[in-house]
Amino acid sequence: MATATDNDNEGPLTRWVQSAIQNPEKVYRALFYVAMVFFLVTTLFPFYWLLVLAVTPSGRLLSGSFLPTIDLFGVSATFPLPVPKGFNPAAFVSVFEQVPFHLYMLNSFALAVTTTVIVIVVASLAGYVFGRLRFPGRAVLMLGILAVSYFPPAAFVIPLFQVFAGNAPITIPFTDFPLFTPPRLLNTPGSMVLPFSALFMPLSIFILTTFYGQIPDGLEDAARVEGTTRLGALFRVIMPLSAPGVATAAVLTFIAVYNEYFFSSIMATSTEAAKWSPIVGGILSYQTQYTTQYNLMAAASIVGVLPVVILVIVAQERIVSGLTSGALKE
Amino acid sequence: MAKLKLEHVTKRYDDQGETVTAVDDMNLDIDHGEFICFVGPSGCGKSTTMETVAGLTIPTEGKVYIGDRDVTNLPPKDRGIAMVFQNIALFPHMDVYDNISFGLRLRDYPTDEIDRRVERAADIVQLEGMLGRMPEEMSGGQRQRVAIARAIVREPDVFLMDEPLANLDAKLKVHMRTELQRLHKELDTTIIYVTHDQEEAMTLSDRIAVLNSGSLQQIAPPLTCYNEPDNLFVAGFIGSPSMNFVEGTVESDAIVTKNFSLAFDPASVDGVGVGDSVTIGIRPEDIYPGGLRGEIADHSALIDARTDILEPMGDEIFAYMLLGEGETSMSQEQASSDQLLVSIDPDSDITEDEDVQVVIDRGNVHLFDTASGEALTHTLEAAWSGDEVTESEAESDD
Amino acid sequence: MSAETGRESRRSGVLVDAMRWMENLSDTQYAYLLLIPVFVLLGVVALYPLLRTFELSLYATSLDLTSRGFVGIDNYVQLFTGGKNRFLPGGTTFLPQNLSLDAMLNSALVVTIIFAVVSVAFETLIGLGQALILDQDFYGRRWIRAAIIIPWAVPIVIQGMIFFLMFNSNVGFATPPLADLGLLAPTNTLNDTASATFIIIVADIWKTSAFMALLILAGLQSIDRGLYDVAKVAGASKWQQFKLITFPLILPTIGVAVLFRSVQAMRIYGIIDTVSSCTVVPSLSCMVVATFNTRVGTSAAIAFVTAAIIGAAVMGLIVWQGEDAI
Repeated sequence: MATATDNDNEGPLTRWVQSAIQNPEKVYRALFYVAMVFFLVTTLFPFYWLLVLAVTPSGRLLSGSFLPTIDLFGVSATFPLPVPKGFNPAAFVSVFEQVPFHLYMLNSFALAVTTTVIVIVVASLAGYVFGRLRFPGRAVLMLGILAVSYFPPAAFVIPLFQVFAGNAPITIPFTDFPLFTPPRLLNTPGSMVLPFSALFMPLSIFILTTFYGQIPDGLEDAARVEGTTRLGALFRVIMPLSAPGVATAAVLTFIAVYNEYFFSSIMATSTEAAKWSPIVGGILSYQTQYTTQYNLMAAASIVGVLPVVILVIVAQERIVSGLTSGALKE
Repeated sequence: MAKLKLEHVTKRYDDQGETVTAVDDMNLDIDHGEFICFVGPSGCGKSTTMETVAGLTIPTEGKVYIGDRDVTNLPPKDRGIAMVFQNIALFPHMDVYDNISFGLRLRDYPTDEIDRRVERAADIVQLEGMLGRMPEEMSGGQRQRVAIARAIVREPDVFLMDEPLANLDAKLKVHMRTELQRLHKELDTTIIYVTHDQEEAMTLSDRIAVLNSGSLQQIAPPLTCYNEPDNLFVAGFIGSPSMNFVEGTVESDAIVTKNFSLAFDPASVDGVGVGDSVTIGIRPEDIYPGGLRGEIADHSALIDARTDILEPMGDEIFAYMLLGEGETSMSQEQASSDQLLVSIDPDSDITEDEDVQVVIDRGNVHLFDTASGEALTHTLEAAWSGDEVTESEAESDD
Repeated sequence: MSAETGRESRRSGVLVDAMRWMENLSDTQYAYLLLIPVFVLLGVVALYPLLRTFELSLYATSLDLTSRGFVGIDNYVQLFTGGKNRFLPGGTTFLPQNLSLDAMLNSALVVTIIFAVVSVAFETLIGLGQALILDQDFYGRRWIRAAIIIPWAVPIVIQGMIFFLMFNSNVGFATPPLADLGLLAPTNTLNDTASATFIIIVADIWKTSAFMALLILAGLQSIDRGLYDVAKVAGASKWQQFKLITFPLILPTIGVAVLFRSVQAMRIYGIIDTVSSCTVVPSLSCMVVATFNTRVGTSAAIAFVTAAIIGAAVMGLIVWQGEDAI
């Protein structure tokens, strides 16, 4: 660190400052680490707080502070970080006993997987069309699909709720002409999968359009000459070759559905797991029914967040590169 | 027998409101087992024509027959064709075996049949022992062989090859050309081959179909296209280096150009009259130094010229010669009447900027109508002038 | 005839005919055929509801639709003149009654806009900082990057739960220190409009900065590294490199990201519902949800106004950012 011997009598900080002035690279390096640690602490701290709450025995939740007072050389001070008041991991078991939290998670999984499959299939057709075919109206249609993604869910929810309630016939807008009376879909997967699919479709369409557009024409022609139909070429050649793009679209759709709140809370009118309520219902039933079991709320949150955390760690490269190549171009 | 027939095939595109005719009223009759090359400059419609045969493009008008079937509206997979693509188009996510067997697997052939066919195809294109490799582990030539094997296993009625050698380096190209000829002999299938390289077309095909601006210029065996081109375009396209073109006018006893004249009897060729504008076409190898005129049966009078640039090729020298007051030209393609390209024996001691005299072999002079471009004759009959009467006709007939 | 053509002819039937019909469609016909599923889905789940919402907003409220009366734009007029405020939950108004902070925070429109502007501004800054960090090469980058983007993947209900537990009056450790600083109400924090709005904005920044970072990182990674070598040779400092190369090149990306996030921020609902309640922090979406079972016409009018405001914001941002923001 020290650049000259005559600095010996100075403190390490002074020496660092001096060398930093000679070498500004060091300052940037230091700033970089300070910023990195800051961001790490702010993003991860809430999870730490959940853990602190979850392992605190329920009997001691309300007594005393999570910020312990410590004795520092005779001066008492408040420790700036919350620490558990005891240790009892039983909350991670009872979280499945008080309400069937695993069933809510299964519901969320089923909804997310179903939506993802529908979105990938339908968006693949659209991505093929927009990425590989030239036809009049292409730009207008893409703009229209983009516009749909800009509308707030609130603008769709009222008629959808009425339709899914299934007690009034669907009429052509602005007339009384009835088309048909739909079945009751509230509290079934249909009432959530349909809006989810429409809501998250545009992003996948744009990602897949970019990826499918990059496959050379020759490969599609080759597949067709060899014996596939145009559609066959899409599923046998274009999609497998665009696997990274398909994976990105699938991961983003899955996460989006798993995270969704608006339709999840409205279309599942009951928070019973048997009525297809997803984790929104599971977490909220702790908030509304077990209003002081904060350790269970925290434990449920940790359990509920685990699948997406794993998914992000596994698929982060795909998410970043998929967004780089796809979403931003539109 | 798998004949191939195109009847009035026309393809028009709509390009931002403008109608572009890519193929214009194409009629072709191809026999079983023929190796046909579609040749022409880029944008001439050769690839589009092939795509209508493949079914990748549906013609706007006209019909396509393979064998006796009208396949105009059949999808590619039902036409009994196989195709080799310019960019090779191997499926990068499949190994060699899966690439070759792709079409067979789609058609639910039994496994042992697939194995048998793949092995035989691999044998033909010398890919034994590479069936487990992925395309990215192979060289360009090997990939091209896989693409050919993928076409062979299908045992198609018609093979389509769209510039299959275009992306290979020069040496490999020549090698693969020989392989393709061997393959054609072995398979006895109709092959349609698209290329912009006239040399490839000359060496490979039974017949060449020369295309320009979407329409067929000539379809004939390679040497016929070379020796008796139907029009100016074919004459200029086939042959390397290109034929010399000199514009002139027909007079009562000669064709007069700016710098020289050739004795000519207008009555000897149908449809030629005094005063017509014609274009004389002479291949570089049909022009000789004046000193050699004794060896040519029917030669023209001596023509004064000056050598400009010499390009020694080893087996011959290409000499650019300027006629009359001609200026040195930078462009080889210059259609100037002041320039002649002459192929000379490599042993001659000719130098640049030397005044020389040349003669033209009248037996191989092509005459074209300048306005229509149509060929009038491919040999000049001896006229009643001072030139010796010879058997020029016998020479040019082949 | 080869073996293969013989093989083809053995297959026949409706499916083959249908396939053949599809294969012979022109590009345009084929394109529209393949787009049918998208159109049907978006038509049923987006276009129809949108038109219907507009239709409902023109009628007087009646749940059973039997006695509906056409009122034209009266619902909208009343919404903007305060006539509908009595149907909104709590003391919420649509427009602010006066210019005091309390009145502002009671207005659904103002709260939504405040939330969108403040949260998106902070998210952009923090996201840019995070993206610059993640763009560096360092040991363990993979893990740091995962850690920083995880909040983006956290379900809204769990995000809400986290902040509910942090500021809850019983176990929330974070309230007393922040109350000492005067930022939050010391008691009943989550039912205090100003405090709850503050907490919800913080919660949103925590979760969505990561998303901004992802988008901006994507832009950063597409910058040609050679440009920095040129700058270094020219003697540019780190700060100059950022100012002269990085920032101008990622500005379009930031524009898109801001646009995208603003649109999402205007929809704010779930986090409010979980952390606090729609009566405490009234957003526009909140108002739609709170009234659509009892006052359909009012609810539809609010929903449509929300959509219109988002549309206007999108147009405004596009004009401001220029063409490349789309």
